[in-house]
Amino acid sequence: MQYSSQAVAKPYFIAAIGLFVGQILFGLILGAQYVIGDFLFPEIPFNVARMVHTNLLIVWLLFGFMGAAYYLVPEEAERELYSPKLAIALFWIFLVAGALTIVGYLAVPYATLAAVTGNDLLPTMGREFLEQPTITKIGIVVVALAFLFNIGMTIISGRKTVVNIVLLTGLTGLAVLFLFAFYNPVNLVLDKMFWWWVVHLWVEGVWELIMAAILAFVLIRLTGVDREVIEKWLYVIIAMALITGIIGTGHHYYWIGTPEYWQWWGSIFSALEPIPFFMMTVFAFNVVNRRRKEHPNKAATLWALGCAVMAFLGAGVWGFLHTLAPVNFYTHGSQITAAHGHMAFYGAYVLVVITMISYAWPHLQHNAPAANGRAQLLEMWSFWLMTISMVFITLFLTGAGILQVYLQRVSDTPLPFMVVQDKIALFYWMRLYAGLAFFIGLCLYVYSFFAKGKESLASS
Amino acid sequence: MDTLAQHDNDSLPGDFAIWIFIFAELLVFGVFFLAYAFSRANNVELFNESQMQLDRIAGAANTLVLITSSYFVVRAVAAIRTGNSTRCVHWLLAAIAMGGVFLVIKLFEFGDKFSAGISLSTNTFFMFYLSLTFFHFMHVILGMVILAAVLFKARSGGYSAQEHTGVETGASYWHMVDLVWLILFPLVYVIH
Amino acid sequence: MNTTPFIRPCTVIWLLLIALTGVTYLVGQAGVSGMAIVGFVLITTLFKSQMVVDHFMGLKHVRPFWRALLFAYLLLVCGMIGVAYYISL
Repeated sequence: MQYSSQAVAKPYFIAAIGLFVGQILFGLILGAQYVIGDFLFPEIPFNVARMVHTNLLIVWLLFGFMGAAYYLVPEEAERELYSPKLAIALFWIFLVAGALTIVGYLAVPYATLAAVTGNDLLPTMGREFLEQPTITKIGIVVVALAFLFNIGMTIISGRKTVVNIVLLTGLTGLAVLFLFAFYNPVNLVLDKMFWWWVVHLWVEGVWELIMAAILAFVLIRLTGVDREVIEKWLYVIIAMALITGIIGTGHHYYWIGTPEYWQWWGSIFSALEPIPFFMMTVFAFNVVNRRRKEHPNKAATLWALGCAVMAFLGAGVWGFLHTLAPVNFYTHGSQITAAHGHMAFYGAYVLVVITMISYAWPHLQHNAPAANGRAQLLEMWSFWLMTISMVFITLFLTGAGILQVYLQRVSDTPLPFMVVQDKIALFYWMRLYAGLAFFIGLCLYVYSFFAKGKESLASS
Repeated sequence: MDTLAQHDNDSLPGDFAIWIFIFAELLVFGVFFLAYAFSRANNVELFNESQMQLDRIAGAANTLVLITSSYFVVRAVAAIRTGNSTRCVHWLLAAIAMGGVFLVIKLFEFGDKFSAGISLSTNTFFMFYLSLTFFHFMHVILGMVILAAVLFKARSGGYSAQEHTGVETGASYWHMVDLVWLILFPLVYVIH
Repeated sequence: MNTTPFIRPCTVIWLLLIALTGVTYLVGQAGVSGMAIVGFVLITTLFKSQMVVDHFMGLKHVRPFWRALLFAYLLLVCGMIGVAYYISL
């Protein structure tokens, strides 16, 4: 660790992993509810568990991004963080607000939560992924602005690198686009249209900038490859991500009441969305193969390469599977979507945050470039366990999706939704087992932080 | 081939990054062109009928304008290869001016179509016509911005006979904009 | 750059492109259709675009791979357009 203020990243990373565990627990509850309908009912209804599962994901990824920014920006800008105190204060505000929101979801009915938090004054609740009470949303905006101020002031008065600028652009975009969460038109078509401006333009737009910047930072440190080479890649990847991602929003506008031309625009541009992810994979392997030094943190390299590959598979390939309008006509809102969502989020964003944690943690905790050999070995085991489990979750959901689409929509004698759900229950059971394996991998990952052992991986 | 692109090595003219970008752009346009051609195969009459409403003179004029503009850029690159910054700036200025002419003609064409009540939702042909030409329109603007950036650097003596990668980078992008239009014009305006 | 010829090669290319554009326009004006005409226009287009690639972009002077790559692209696009027109006849 070169700058003492980088240490503020530590609580962010701890919170991120803690919430990650919570997210997976709720994922397991959901997986069980798919096949045992009244599991934990009425304490935790399906819709509440789903809300907690997705909201926790977003919140812990945000913790991860903020932690990554606090660690990365001082080192890139070559100066201490503008205000470490502000960073710590924001951490507690965000954590308490997030925890209260989750408690609210679980403790009272959603309608009561809406009434108590004054949703009538400025209605923003009730939309998927944006279920947070209005006051929580306002809190998120305040935290985001103060965070951007802190990071921005550090970058402005420090060394400006491409990595820093790209990261700042991505984070600013994240904050600005979130403002559409407050725009709630009465017209249902407009409502959906702008809802995607948050949801799609986050994960297929500005988050890709954040991901590319974090990956570039870690790869520069791990491989010692020239900054110029990596920056050039970064430019190209970002240009492609934005060209395809922004107009690619159209692949959500096929069937919501928007004009027909979106079927063409959405199909053509989103069909090309795999390209930036493919370039990221080529970039990561290329840079690692041309490495100028052997970094002792082997685990971080594995996470980084895994991130690039899984992002390409999950976001690129599985996204392409159902992005063309004629295909999507049959597949939208089916388990195909769920399969894509799981692998894309895991590959692109879960793994990039863990890559950053894996790289930064030894510096933060042990003041060493790498964890001990046994800890790294455990990390690698957890990588393979979680990743292979996620591949299986995706494959089982894809199988379920194909069968669902056929029985429910393509077949000459279409069956009702619930009948089809019964017929594909076997896939849901297998998905649940794969989810349990994922959880074991996650436990192993958490355990790796406490593992004591031999000095380096090479000697083990 | 004295004044044409000439290289002391085997690599692509200009920065390699712009070429990755050019290839990606060509891919997008290629997919768009084929989508047009195959949708037409399903609606031949509609496409032929709607195509008659296009202003072919404006389309042909714009082709000439872009080709000429590309030619000016070739001259600009040739000028900087001999270290003549002033001449390079003049050619670039001429090329950007031609880009401006293209935009003006295109705006008249768009205005004409919009006042006739034609929009993206009129029919599939006009959806493609407007999308493709507008998308290309935006690329002309971006190309002009890039050329202008090169121009300003050239004017302040930022390039020399030895080091002028920037000029070649901008030129390569501009030729791509031209190249795409060379396919777009016959496809959308001419053949039926 | 030993001798300056009377007319620069790139100027010749430019004039050729202008002339071929005129031909394409006239074909459109004549209002004729049919596979032969479509084929003629597409081949002209292929020829024109390859001239831009070779002489304006200057890919004739770099590693042949790049020129071949762009030619393959142009051939594929023009060829597939031809196929689309052929099946609609």
